[in-house]
Amino acid sequence: MSFKDILNSGKFVVTAEVGPPKGTDIKEMIHHIELLKGKVDALNVTDNQSAVMRICSMAVCKIVLEHDVEPILQMTCRDRNRIGLQSDLLGANILGIRNVLCMTGDHVLAGDHKQAKPVYDIESVQLLSVVNSLNNGKDMAGNDLKGATDFFQGAVVTPEANPLEPQLIKFEKKVRAGAKFFQTQAIYDINKFKEFMSYARKFSVKILAGIVVLKSAGMASFINNNVPGIRVPQELIDELKAAGKEKALDTGLNIAARHIRQLKDENICDGVHIMAIGMEDKVPIIMERAGLL
Amino acid sequence: MIITKKRDFQELMENIKNYRSFFLIGCSECASLCGTGNQEAIDALTEALKAEGKEVTGGFVAKTGCQVLGTKIELKPFKDALDKTECILIMSCGAGTQAAVEIFEDKPVYATNDSLFLGNMTRFQMFDERCSLCGKCILDKTGGICPVTACPKGILNGPCGGCKDGKCEVSPDIKCAWVRIYERMKRLDRLQELCDNALEAKDWSMSIKPRTLVARPEKKEEKKK
Ligand code: SF4
Ligand code: SF4
Repeated sequence: MSFKDILNSGKFVVTAEVGPPKGTDIKEMIHHIELLKGKVDALNVTDNQSAVMRICSMAVCKIVLEHDVEPILQMTCRDRNRIGLQSDLLGANILGIRNVLCMTGDHVLAGDHKQAKPVYDIESVQLLSVVNSLNNGKDMAGNDLKGATDFFQGAVVTPEANPLEPQLIKFEKKVRAGAKFFQTQAIYDINKFKEFMSYARKFSVKILAGIVVLKSAGMASFINNNVPGIRVPQELIDELKAAGKEKALDTGLNIAARHIRQLKDENICDGVHIMAIGMEDKVPIIMERAGLL
Repeated sequence: MIITKKRDFQELMENIKNYRSFFLIGCSECASLCGTGNQEAIDALTEALKAEGKEVTGGFVAKTGCQVLGTKIELKPFKDALDKTECILIMSCGAGTQAAVEIFEDKPVYATNDSLFLGNMTRFQMFDERCSLCGKCILDKTGGICPVTACPKGILNGPCGGCKDGKCEVSPDIKCAWVRIYERMKRLDRLQELCDNALEAKDWSMSIKPRTLVARPEKKEEKKK
């Protein structure tokens, strides 16, 4: 079943992600894909994440497909102009890649090639319209395509953005531009997320809550101080502290599993997107503890 | 106005090391406001060059350094000093330097400044970039704040995920352009407009270089022929 069909079937969906490596040695990455195969419903492949140059997302999506897992092609507007983006989208489509996540992308200053010229010919909302248009057989300039694409397109949203309202205005623009599903920035406060969901439910789009495992109280404080749009509540920091150094990671896994279970049991959203960031091997453990395996 | 910054003196000395004598031309417009092309700047550079054993045959502040014909006329009284100099130093922007290149066909012309951006003077000699001269202005739709320029990603439809507590992902020293636009539109009671109208991708063909403009109707006809 395609990712789209699974989402539309009403099943509580789980997606995870693979980060392509810098360099041609893909043994570890393949290991992660095999580990998650049959467990998650789709795998995001990041696009030069944090503006650090790595293997391109499309090539890795193809490998994910060859392992019988549904890939979600992440596409940012940082490195390609509208010609490059559309051409890559057509290419992805003929390779059998059906899911695309449209993003603007971290600035080159965040990455490892700070002297690069950032492109940003278009941005996330406009990229969503482009995908919509390719699906309808026309390119961005209005030319007819010989064969339309059939993408299932999604976008990202930050439910805890501060200030929130401009972010929500943008969310609505993304919905109108054709986004069918959203994967959120990491969330840790389920009650606050419920507020966001009661707003988001007004729109007929699927929402997957972002889950990032907390490895330690230190990591949680770091996130609060440095990462935009994520807030770890004090209770969780205390819980990690109380667990002590040895048990912190295990507690972090429990918190993630507990949140996922609650999101599912209370039918708060349509699924979760687990961003393991180097701990791909822990994803099955979280899923097991959440009662999903 | 065009914001300029004085080049590092050692770099300038390296560039002009093959010449002995100089004529300095400032500009009374932007470069004067930036303090890079006013009389004080000319005097200071004159002193510095002399201290390095160079000769300064003369100098003056042009009214509008990027205006070729006007500057040419203004230069007439300086004929002797200009004949004596080996090299012309331009203390305005890149346009001013190239105006001088047009005027002095046989003399080397060097720039003492780097040209940075089109901006506003927010306080005395403090400047912010405000417009990227994109060729098709969208300020009417964004509450008069330019996202093409004020947002490092030039996003046209709202803040990116990197916006942290209203500050920009790229620098905590600047406020997110889209938070500013949101706040202004809210104050003007125009939020609905912001929400309803997704801005389309920009037409970058409007800013293909080099751009020219003929604003005189009779000249327009001539150019067509
Ligand atoms: S949209 Fe911005 S860059 Fe373009 S002309 Fe207007 S102010 Fe300048
Ligand atoms: S934080 Fe705001 S100004 Fe900075 S890049 Fe993102 S949208 Fe643009």
